[in-house]
Amino acid sequence: MRLRRFAMLVVLVLMLPLTGFAASRPTVTILAFAQGFAWPELFGSTGLERTEKLAELEDRLGVNIEIVWGDESTVRMKALTDLIAHTGRYDILMVGSDGGVQLYGWGGYLEPLDYYLENYPMEWFDPKEVFPKFLDANRMPPGGPLYALPYYSFGAGMIYRADIFERYGLTPPDTVDELFTVLQKLKEGLEKDGLDMYPITMRAAPGEEPSLDLLGFVYAYAGYPAIFEGGAVTIEEIKKTKAKPILNSEDFKKGFTAYVEILREYGPPGASNHTWVDMMNLYAAGKAVILMPSAINGYAAITITEDPAVKKYSRFALAPKGPSGKRIQSFWTFSLGINADSKHKLAAWKVLSYLCGREAIQAFAERTGWPNVPMRSVLYSQNLIDRYGLEQIELNEESIDIAEPYYFPYIPELPDFMDKIGTACSRAVAGEDIDKVLDELQLWALDRMFKAGYYR
Amino acid sequence: MRKTSLWEKDKYRFLIPTVLVCALLVSFPFVYMLYTSTQYWIALRPERSFAGLGNYRSVLLSTEFRQSLLTTVIFVISSVAGSIVLGFALALVLNEKFRGRNVIRALLTIPAIIPPAAAGFTWKFLLNRDVGLIGGFFLPLLGVKRALLGDPGWALFSVILADVWCQTPLMFLILLAGLQAIPMELFDAARIDGAGFGQVLVRIIIPLLKRVLGLAVIIRFIFAFTTFDVIFTMTGGGPGIATQTLPLLGWKTGFLYYDLGQAAALAVVMLLITVFFSSTLVRMVKL
Repeated sequence: MRLRRFAMLVVLVLMLPLTGFAASRPTVTILAFAQGFAWPELFGSTGLERTEKLAELEDRLGVNIEIVWGDESTVRMKALTDLIAHTGRYDILMVGSDGGVQLYGWGGYLEPLDYYLENYPMEWFDPKEVFPKFLDANRMPPGGPLYALPYYSFGAGMIYRADIFERYGLTPPDTVDELFTVLQKLKEGLEKDGLDMYPITMRAAPGEEPSLDLLGFVYAYAGYPAIFEGGAVTIEEIKKTKAKPILNSEDFKKGFTAYVEILREYGPPGASNHTWVDMMNLYAAGKAVILMPSAINGYAAITITEDPAVKKYSRFALAPKGPSGKRIQSFWTFSLGINADSKHKLAAWKVLSYLCGREAIQAFAERTGWPNVPMRSVLYSQNLIDRYGLEQIELNEESIDIAEPYYFPYIPELPDFMDKIGTACSRAVAGEDIDKVLDELQLWALDRMFKAGYYR
Repeated sequence: MRKTSLWEKDKYRFLIPTVLVCALLVSFPFVYMLYTSTQYWIALRPERSFAGLGNYRSVLLSTEFRQSLLTTVIFVISSVAGSIVLGFALALVLNEKFRGRNVIRALLTIPAIIPPAAAGFTWKFLLNRDVGLIGGFFLPLLGVKRALLGDPGWALFSVILADVWCQTPLMFLILLAGLQAIPMELFDAARIDGAGFGQVLVRIIIPLLKRVLGLAVIIRFIFAFTTFDVIFTMTGGGPGIATQTLPLLGWKTGFLYYDLGQAAALAVVMLLITVFFSSTLVRMVKL
């Protein structure tokens, strides 16, 4: 008995250095959404596992890695409250290129990454492998410091049902005029044949969501980001030229109206409350012929659908060109940045470089089957080519090549603008007068910009 | 000479822990909220300055506030009235003895234990125009083909309906407890005197339930006025701002626009409205 106790004591004493070693390793905590399909190789398909790969990575980097998941809006709120409070609780945070990078980067809440890229290159992450636009979208101001690295990312496009197009003798529209013609023909054909489908699904729920797509229409119609006078998109440009918002101008109204009209005439009833989830579900259920311009939601639908026709006949096409000759935009990167209050910045950088590195992005592409990846090498991986064919992959690359990340302003007030514009869109799609909605939007925008001190 | 009891001497000392806890948990956040409401403070921006009553002026003059206030008034009146009337009717019926009464009582309380956020998602799904049991199946059978949550008027009706569904069980339980406290002799005497149901209701039940009803209305009013989860999950305040009540506006101001000063000012305005109506109701029913 005594001998047994003694042996146990010896074992415990021998294990002490090990526990000490583990405890001395810094813990890097990640805050993100997309549980289950982000980093499946580390956290499994539930997002709750701790895989061998994760243990291997931790040992290799000498860090403990923890992840906190939440739904998108919860994660955004958590990030905000944590950053304001300077707790440094989350070392790596998910920040979108549609407001988070601009707001937190400009405010000094995120660690600039250029220094780490230059001085601590990691084998997993080669910036040259990343499509430059996806990196540029994470610089604030444009051309300035890099505040986040892209994980999954997308440019605009159209996912459509080739079988339905063929049935009515249609081809993917190259211009918005053609788009309206196609939608009208689809509407008439579907009604005549009694098919329970809508010609198109897009989103218009109140909040920031629809702005990403709607501003892409504004850009294609006006030929420039028609949110501020002269198309100013940076703080310097707005301040220098005292550029005022032009949200009730003809340039803004044309694209806004087109988006609203399409949804009113050809979209599903209730689109004024539809988010990307509704778009995806409608398309997956075989109830919509076209999903655009955030084609990623179409790819998500193709992955989850139980309708064989959706799986078999869905195709990708470039988003149509507006009257300006420029194509409709919808550009976003799921990005990860390092908290400026993190106590383990270097360790966080090492982890981040893995999280956004080639291996992780390849695992994402294999798990989801989406070609919405920031690296060319992954986009052209055999897995995706086998799934969609080389031609479709090339089209996806083209959509990235012609993307314009700066089709909305890069200012700290961007989240407010995105929310207000999206909510105005929702009101208009629900039937309110477009001029009234835009006049109110303009008044709010002027007030907001004056209060923020842009015109002093 | 009057003898001072131990209680008289020490009552303030006994109160100290409670007062301290209240001071920490209630007073500090309240005072801090008042202070924040006087600041021009956009979160994540370094500059922060005294705004006086500027935030209150901005809040009260904004069209979004007026629209949200109107929506809140419609929501609160409809939801309170709906759940009280329905809860009262159910309490009257289920106060009678009949076979299976306990099973029905138990079933009726189920919505009360479902988290409002989950209830909101469930209703959203049920009302969905394409796949929902109600919105996609029953309503089209009746010839209603509109998407309820995509139509401003119907969306408000839908969130009221969902809230009434969530809150009626609580009202039912409170009012049933009140009904059971009324002495049976009064009902027997009324029956002997030949009083009908209407007379019993007006002359006995309502007067004796007045305080319980008052309490139920106050509780319901506070709950309805601060409802967030059901609306947020069902419509997010939309379409547009058609179902945006004051709590949703406060959340947007604080967490989407990062305007903590204005969000705090709005919270103070909401607190004043709640206190005013609650105290008026307390006085009316002499609680």
